[in-house]
Amino acid sequence: MSRKLIIDPVTRIEGHGKVIIQLDDDNKVVDAKLLVVEFRGFEKFIQGHPYWEAPMLLQRICGICFVSHHLCGAKVLDDMIGVGYSTHNLITPTAEKMRRLGHYAQQLQSHATAYFYCIVPEMVLGMDAAPEKRNVLGLATANPELIKRVVMLRKWGQELIQAVLGKKMHGISSIPGGVNNNLTAEARDRFIKGDNSIPSIDQMLEYAMDGLELFYDFHEKNRAMVDGFGDAPALDMCLVDDNGDVDYYHGKMRIIDNDKKIVRELDYHDYLGHFSEATEEWSYMKFPFLKELGREKGSVRVGPLARVNVTKSYSTPLAQVALEKFHAYNKGKSSNKALHTNWARAIEILHSAELIKELLNDPDLQKDQLLVTATESMWTGEGVGVVEAPRGTLLHHYRANQEGNITFANLIVATTQNNQVMNRTVRSVAEEYLEGETEITEGMMNAIEVGIRAFDPCLSCATHALGEMPLEVTLLDAKGNQIDERRK
Amino acid sequence: MNAGSKLTLDYFDNEASLIYGIGNIGRQDDGLGWEFIDWLETASVCTKAERVKFYQLNLEDADLISHQQRVLFVDASKEVSDERFRFYKAEQKMDFSFTSHDMSIETIMATCWQCFAKMPEVYVLAIKGYEWELQIGLTDEAKKNLRLASSYMQRGTSVAAPTTDDRLQYVIGGA
Repeated sequence: MSRKLIIDPVTRIEGHGKVIIQLDDDNKVVDAKLLVVEFRGFEKFIQGHPYWEAPMLLQRICGICFVSHHLCGAKVLDDMIGVGYSTHNLITPTAEKMRRLGHYAQQLQSHATAYFYCIVPEMVLGMDAAPEKRNVLGLATANPELIKRVVMLRKWGQELIQAVLGKKMHGISSIPGGVNNNLTAEARDRFIKGDNSIPSIDQMLEYAMDGLELFYDFHEKNRAMVDGFGDAPALDMCLVDDNGDVDYYHGKMRIIDNDKKIVRELDYHDYLGHFSEATEEWSYMKFPFLKELGREKGSVRVGPLARVNVTKSYSTPLAQVALEKFHAYNKGKSSNKALHTNWARAIEILHSAELIKELLNDPDLQKDQLLVTATESMWTGEGVGVVEAPRGTLLHHYRANQEGNITFANLIVATTQNNQVMNRTVRSVAEEYLEGETEITEGMMNAIEVGIRAFDPCLSCATHALGEMPLEVTLLDAKGNQIDERRK
Repeated sequence: MNAGSKLTLDYFDNEASLIYGIGNIGRQDDGLGWEFIDWLETASVCTKAERVKFYQLNLEDADLISHQQRVLFVDASKEVSDERFRFYKAEQKMDFSFTSHDMSIETIMATCWQCFAKMPEVYVLAIKGYEWELQIGLTDEAKKNLRLASSYMQRGTSVAAPTTDDRLQYVIGGA
């Protein structure tokens, strides 16, 4: 007998996802799928628009990681006019550093949102706490001082985004060949020292350290659960610099296996030669994979866990100490543990704050060389941009005709890259929590969500779709009959 | 300000007040909150108050309102009723109807109190909208409601506290 249960509050992911779990006659899990059932089609409706509109329009895919889309698009435009990485006629140091500053500001506030809103409530209030309490508002009641700090982390990041990109949401600073503003000395001093409305950068570092300590404490008390939950092997991918260290704004795409051997390293302009995308009739989200290895062996994981697995070191001292601890704990291997993503995210909050502090003290940000002017003969009409968005590797690829109108656009967002590994995680959790069961309980539902939430998926980005955010879980018997369904 | 007393926009025309338009002009009538702010600017009304336009409320807005004495939120409403707009004094409430990028006015107020031990007077002007598709521009009926609400706020009105039964459903102005 099929039953439908509606659970409130809505789940803490961005987008509309549905999970279907198939059991055999012995109630063993034989299949588990994360379905994404929205569609928007940004790649289509951008066609015909002037090329310079693309970063402004395409960043509207998302209200959370819009800076990443904006900068990714800006890098494409640099290529198109002949001053990007594909032509080696680079934008000015001030322009690149301004873009980086905005990028790190977004990573700080986006990670803080994901970590403190979606993950910390379970760490502080308990996995078994009532759902109406197990969220950031429950935290506000239980620990108002912690939430006060979260408010300030988000506010500080948002204010810095506004100072760099001109707006708190959907910025306007990056233009083909550079940026249209630098950072004034007054603004710089405000973020370094703080004022009566925002804390100082050193206070941000302190709050970031507190966030990491929260994870250490949780891990210490729940080691078996954290280390045993949602183990999903995959290759790891991120952008790296010449030293093999993660670079959130630019670098080579490095892909490593679980022993940290380099499987591939490529210029992202050549991604089409290396990656293919599988489709499934049950999902709008594609499944990218390395062509040579095939879908099963060639699917990659991106995002905080992948980056912390891949990077050899950090240039900043506090994050480096945290990284060494992470690498030592995993004995030099890549971690496949879903909940270690939360550890990695907490490390990256700290790393972002340190990178911001470095840039705020860089005098290049007050210089006036903002733009490289391109001549008509430099026009290439095509570009590829890749950045490390908070959720992982983000790619934009556009072509335009001689009139400058977009004729082709392709976006591969981080959540799409993670599609295969998220499905593996769902299956791993389902096998652990649902095997032998004929009814979905709140605990099972939350376990599946915890596994998905570790990736901080943005399903609206991944399908480029608007939508509300329920998660549905459906349980099927061996004949495909629905025996239970729950919805959050 | 007690329920039932006369109140006009003049009440917010000072540096200790914030007028916050919630919405998205790219979603037809969801732009009502922003249009109200634009009207204040073009009509030079409430020039001393701080004015903000944003897509939706976020946690950091608890800090924003903690620095104010009076706050007026202006938002589009999907409320199914004959009313073209409603104006009322809001009360704090942790409603837990939560996502990471959309929070209710009442929850922002409750968070403000929990974290900062401060609570401004908060009023809501909810203007009825009709269409919410991806398109710029208000519908004719929404424009009419905006004119009526603006005019009403200039003349002064009786303020009633909301009851559980007549709470509004706020539009999500997602990006």
